[in-house]
Parts: sequence; C-alpha cells; structure tokens
Amino acid sequence: MMELEIELKKASDSLKSWDTTSISLTAGCDLFMRYVTRTSALEYEDFNSAKSRLIERAEKFGEISYKARRIIAMLSQDFIFDGCTILVHGFSRVVLEVLKTAAQNKKLFRVLCTEGRPDRTGLRLSNELAKLDVPVKLLIDSAVAYSMDEIDMVFVGADGVVESGGIINMMGTYQIALVAHSMNKPVYVAAESYKFARLYPLDQKDMAPALRPIDFGVPIPSKVEVETSARDYTPPQYLTLLFTDLGVLTPSVVSDELIQLYL
Amino acid sequence: MEPRRPSRAVIDPKVRQVGFITPNAPPQQPVRTQSYPPESNSPPLSESPASNSLSPVMIPPPRHLSDNLTAYRTPAVPVPESSRRRAEPAAVACSYDPSESLFGTSSPAPSPLASSRLVVDGEFSEESWFKKSDSAKFASSFPGGGFDLTTVKNVGVAAAVAAKKPAAVSGNEKSKASGAESKNELPSGSGSKTSKVKMTKSERRSLQESQRAAKAGGNKSAGASSSRAAKQPQQKKDAAPAPPSVAASEKKGTDRPPEKERKKDVPAPRMQFDDKSRVEKAKKRAVVNQTEVRNRVELFRHLPQYEHGTQLPDLESKFFRNDPMHRAVYKVGLQYLAGDITGGNARCIAMLQAFSEAIRDYTTPAEKTLTRDLTAKIGSYVSFLIECRPLSISMGNAIRFLKNRIAKLPLTLSESEAKTSLCLDIDRFINEKIILADRVIVRHASTKIRDGDVLLTYGSSCVVEMLLSHALELGKKFHVVIVDSRPKLEGQSLLRRLVANGLNCTYTHLNAVSYIMHEVTRVFLGASSILSNGTVYSRVGTAAVAMVANAFSVPVLICCEAYKFHERVQLDSICFNELGDPQAVAKVSGRGDVNYLGSLGNKDNLQLLNLMYDATPSEYISMIVTDYGMIPPTSVPVIVREYCRDQLWI
Repeated sequence: MMELEIELKKASDSLKSWDTTSISLTAGCDLFMRYVTRTSALEYEDFNSAKSRLIERAEKFGEISYKARRIIAMLSQDFIFDGCTILVHGFSRVVLEVLKTAAQNKKLFRVLCTEGRPDRTGLRLSNELAKLDVPVKLLIDSAVAYSMDEIDMVFVGADGVVESGGIINMMGTYQIALVAHSMNKPVYVAAESYKFARLYPLDQKDMAPALRPIDFGVPIPSKVEVETSARDYTPPQYLTLLFTDLGVLTPSVVSDELIQLYL
Repeated sequence: MEPRRPSRAVIDPKVRQVGFITPNAPPQQPVRTQSYPPESNSPPLSESPASNSLSPVMIPPPRHLSDNLTAYRTPAVPVPESSRRRAEPAAVACSYDPSESLFGTSSPAPSPLASSRLVVDGEFSEESWFKKSDSAKFASSFPGGGFDLTTVKNVGVAAAVAAKKPAAVSGNEKSKASGAESKNELPSGSGSKTSKVKMTKSERRSLQESQRAAKAGGNKSAGASSSRAAKQPQQKKDAAPAPPSVAASEKKGTDRPPEKERKKDVPAPRMQFDDKSRVEKAKKRAVVNQTEVRNRVELFRHLPQYEHGTQLPDLESKFFRNDPMHRAVYKVGLQYLAGDITGGNARCIAMLQAFSEAIRDYTTPAEKTLTRDLTAKIGSYVSFLIECRPLSISMGNAIRFLKNRIAKLPLTLSESEAKTSLCLDIDRFINEKIILADRVIVRHASTKIRDGDVLLTYGSSCVVEMLLSHALELGKKFHVVIVDSRPKLEGQSLLRRLVANGLNCTYTHLNAVSYIMHEVTRVFLGASSILSNGTVYSRVGTAAVAMVANAFSVPVLICCEAYKFHERVQLDSICFNELGDPQAVAKVSGRGDVNYLGSLGNKDNLQLLNLMYDATPSEYISMIVTDYGMIPPTSVPVIVREYCRDQLWI
C-alpha cells in the first residue's frame, strides 16, 4: 500500500514537472492523490481489493472531472437571461460549454469577446461562437471599460482557484474584474473543482511566474523590457460567484471545500 | 463610541436604557418617575416611585430628582423602591445604617458621583437586566464604589436608610424629601430606577454610588440586602462601587468569563454575606476596588476594573483563609497579577503546567469521585486565576479541553493512572497545539517573506518573533519595523531580542504608523483570539495598524494558533474587553517628573481608560496563518466547526 502511494506520488510529480506553471495540472494531481488515497481501501487486507477500490475511485475522479463541464453548464443556465450581454475573456472550454448550452436552450444573448492578446484567444472564441450562431462582437483589450455599460455580466474561466477564493487566470482578468466591480457588474467564474489549489497569493507577484513571449510584430530595442507574465491573480472581493461542479459557490466557500478535502 | 453601540434609546451617554424595560407588575407605583424618559411610555412620569415596579433595568434619568424623590416617598414596595432609590445616591446609601453612615459621610463626595451614577444606572441596566431574573427587589444600589464595604455589611434599617437618604441626596438635586422617601423604599431594595431627576453627571454618579453602596450595605437589611447582594453580584461588571459585590460577582465569575461574562451577575441573590468564604473574598475585593469606582468610564462599566497594586496583600491573606490553593496555581496567579507573564501562549502554558502539577499532587478525598472532585478543584483554581486577571480566550479554551478530558476519563482507571493520563494529555495539548503549531505557522508564514521585504509588526507576539528569527535563519533579507504603543511598550523587548539576533529593525510608535506604512510590504500581527466572524481580537492598537495597512493596500497576515479560535462573534471592542490599570495611562514609568495629571487624579470629570484588547474587523485581514495552513478570515468558523468542536481536541 505504501509502495503504491509512493508510485502514485512519483507519477504525479513527473506529470507536474512537465509543465510547472500550470496550476490546474498541479492542483488536479494533488486532488487526485488526496481523493484516491483518502479512502479506507488502504486498510483492506487483500491487496487486490484495495487496488480495485483505488482504481474505482480514480475512474470516478476522471468521470467527475469529465462531467464537470456539463454540470457547470447546467448550473449557469439560470444566470443567463434573454437579451443579456456577456463579456468573455480568455479561451476557456468550460465557458464555451456554458455558452453552447445556453445557445442550445434557445436563449437570446450576445457575447463580447476581448481580443486576448497575445494569445489571440478572442479570435478562437469568436470563431466557435459564430458557429453556434451567437452574435459576437470583438473588442480590443483596452475597450473593456468603454463597453462595460452595455454589459450585463462577465464570464471567465480559471487556471486555478486559490484558497482565498480568488482566481488565477489569463492576464487581463484582474483588470476586467476591477472595472466590472466598480460598475457593479457581476463577475462569474466557471471552474471545475479539481482546479482548487492550495495556494494563497497575497499580491500579483506572489505566484510562481508563468512567462511566455509576446510578439509585437515589430522588433523591440533590446533596452526595452517587456512584461511577459501570462497570468494574473484576481482577489476574491471582485468575484461574484463561482460555478463549479460542486455547485454555485461564493468565493469564501473555496477555502471551506479545501479544508474539508485536505485536512 | 456612542454610535457604535447598539441602538438603544439613549438620551445621553449617561443614561443608557438597556431596553429591557419590563414594567414589573404595575402593582406598586404605576406611575414612574421620569427616570426612563425613553421608555417611559408606560408609566407616566409621575414622581411616584412606583417605578420601582419597573424592572431594575430601567435607568432613571438623572432628572428632576427632587420631584421624584418626593414622589418616591411611598414606602410601599420596598423592592421597587430600593432600586429606585438608586437614583438618589444618598438615598440609597441612606437606607442602611452603617452604610448610611458611610454614605452619609461620603455622600457629599460620592453624591455628586452618585448622581451622575444615577444616569449610569443605565449602564446598570445592563447588569440590571440580570436583576430581572432576580426580581425587582434589587435595590439599585450600585456597587458602592468608594463606599466602604463595611457599610454594605450593615443591614441598614429602613429608617436609617431614610435618614441617610436625605444626606446623600443633599449632594444631588434631589430633595432630601425624596431621600427620605427613598429611604422607606430603600430597605426594600427595589431594583427599579427611580429618579427621573436630571442631575449633573457627578451628582448622578454619587447617587449611583451611594445607591450601590447602600445596596451593598443595605442588602443586609430586609429584602433589600439580599436583593442588593444579588444585585451586586450582578453588577459584577459594574466594578467598583461595591467591592463586596464585586468580589461576589467575581466569585460568580465562572471559569468561563468570555462566555458568561454577562451572566456572571445573574446568579440568584447571592447571599454573599452568608457565605463566609465569599464574604472574605468580597472583602478582599472590596479593599481593592474602592478607589476605582469614581473614575470608571461609563461605557465600560460592564467590565471589571480593579485597583492595581493593592491586591497582593489581599491575595496573600486570602490564600491561607480558604481552601489552600495549590502552590503552583497560586504562583501562576501572582505572576499574572504582577504582569510577569503576558501573552496568550505564555499564560496558557503557565496555567496548564500549574494545573498539571496540581493534578500530580492531587488525591481524591474519600467517597468522592475523581472526575467530579477534580473538576470542582480545577474550577476553584480557575476562579482564583480569574481574580488575579481575567482569563484570555486561549486559556478559556484550554480549560475547556482539560475539563473535557477529565470528564472523559474512563471510570475504570485507578487514580494514579488517571492522573498520569491527564498530565500526559496536558503535555500533549501544550506540545501539539502550541509548540508544534507555532513551528508549522512559522514554516507557512516564512514562505510569504521575500527578499527585500519590509515587514511591520505591532507589539510583541511570540509567534511573529519566532517567524522573523526563522526567516532570518533561512537567509532572507528583509527589514523589520516594530510599532509600539504606551503604556505597555511591549515592542521594546521584541526590539531588543531581534536586534540581538542581527535583524535590521526600525522602531516607532503607533502615532507614526501612517507615516511609515507606505514603505511597508507586509504586516505580520499576532492575535489573542480569532472569532467566528473573522474578527481578530488582539492587543489594543492592532486594529489601527491593520486599518492603516489596508488603506495602503498592504497585506495583513495574522499568525494565530488554531486553539485560540473561538465560536463567539464580536462586532466591536466594547462588549467584551479587559480593563487595565488606568493610572498606567497617566504615568510614565521612569519619568517621575511627568505627572501632569497628578492633581487631577480624582476629578469626577476625568476618567482614565486603559483598554487591553481591541477587535479588528475581518475585511482588513488578508490571511490568517494557523497550524492548519493559510486560511482566509472567512474560514475561521470552518476550522472551529471541523476541529475545535469535536471533543477530542486532536
């Protein structure tokens, strides 16, 4: 049993090392380990039955994660009403699922997409939405405050949900959340529960850096520095609700869930 | 401060209607004096002291005392009257013979106080609402701060009281007549507030005091005495005036002051004078508290305040009088008293170790079960410790744990096995919940310190000190700003130790915190306790530092062990706090020449307030580092629910 745990840990570590910056990967691996090993199966005398129990739980975990998106999409349907305008930032498959389901339910809404430089997430997302016949409008990132008046809600995904209830997401999310908060627009986050991580950033720089090169299209003089961080941290006070497969949660509940799971 | 208090119909700060007006059986004097302007919807503000029938909760406004007094003359219902008499400072005092005389003598002085006290009855009402349970018989005598306890002992005759009343009243606007009347009622010790007379604050205070004293003393007389006695215990929070009552209330204080602090005084009419040990204790307290009464801040009357420096001889004499306290507990108590041991962890550990020693030396008396007897013994030790210094919340939790363990002892254990098991439990508690917890906290929190940081801390928290030393050992480069404040100046000892360790430190006082905050990157604070709504209950001044940090967008991290969490909720720093020695505010140690308040020490319109704790709202806290990890302030009730409720305390 102990050997099995050690093996699992080794596998998990090697997975994590593949992409050290991915919070969801790390969080997912950690949660998987907890979920799988936190069972009385480890006390079974018979190794085989214990093993099959572990496998059972592991498959269940995979199922949950797979179904998570659908559950989240279902939960968020109530929040999308006819005639609403949704602002989306970043390319999140969960958010896409949400919008897909809404479109399938014949809801009438329009989507404003930020361009999402330099990853061009906005372009990808608008492509997908256009296929669904959802009216899409593209904005440059700087036009968010300008358009905030006509927006009813903001939908974002998350790379990771941290203990304070805040989220780590693509660069620009914090900005949008700030603007939305100051204009009293709700910010909804769609994230699966395996993304809950045991991190607690105090400020923007308190996280492991995730850098990616930015291509400006023109050569930059070498003396000029470029901020290449790929993500930022949005504190919980700017988030309204989190849609997760555990339900619709407020940011303070994230810590509750983490405590129950980890402690 | 006023706005922070719950909405009560407050006329002025002195008149605090607690809102539990329950017109007692109107029987007696249906007509009330305007003592309760706000509430006096019912009883027309007639002078009749009938208001006695009103619950003791009513606070007679210090107005038209004279009017009321006359009205109060109705000798009826002793009970209501006595309480009513409260309004008449002197009157109350007068009701009792010895006390009367005492009050009589003191009436000139106290009466102005009493009169002001009168209004303070309002505060009384806070305590007095307890009286409700005790019936309206409680004379509204205020723990006669400043009144000789002995007078309390005297069961004044109504007549005597009456006689006194006039004297006492003289100080106030109240007419002597009313005094006389009140006398009649005084013996009854009614708890109702009577005077509707508006008096000056000092008058009211003296009135209150006289009433309290009368109450204390008057308790002896007829029902009044009992009511008084009862009342006094109730006014436990209401320190001062009646030392005996205070003492009694002390006694009433359970070993769970935080939880029952208000209920402490509720106990049935304490026959404090019947119970010898209590009397003795009361006496001891009495001597101590006498002089504090005058200068008590009204808003904090519900908190006990003792005269510092005079308790030691009392304690010593008391030590041999009652059941001998175990020497270790006694020692710890004295250390608390002297202020040698401060800080939640230190006090808790000292107390637990003393208990451990006491348990080791304990033998079950014949025909008694170990669990019950030991629990009772621990309870008595705790009461003793409370007398020395009110319990901190960490100590309260530790005591709960200990009692829990005692209760869970299997009956099959032999005495020595049980004792060993208990001592082991205590050691494990100290080890796991405090020492190891501190290490875990330090490990977590040091991940939040980066090179180049400027860390700010306030006062002296042992965990924060450990954290800074540990971060230094890890080789991080940072600078520390220590903010300190009078009168305790705890930061100086921390500064000394950190500088000796080799840290770069800056030292400043609380008034400069907004000046220095813009340079700070992180704030680390300790806590005495964290409550369920995320409020941090810590050394006074912490809230100010946290608020300034929040205004400058500097993250505030609280380092606190999980055993200090409590399921209580506190919204402000007033309803539960601890009052320190007010003279410490006026004096500067080491500078005898700085004595600007020397002559003003006993003025009525000057009150010195030395708060020990304050409550920091959760919105100013970024993160709490506990032995369970780093949690947001909103998750404190989760920890309490998951880990502190279960009896195992594991």
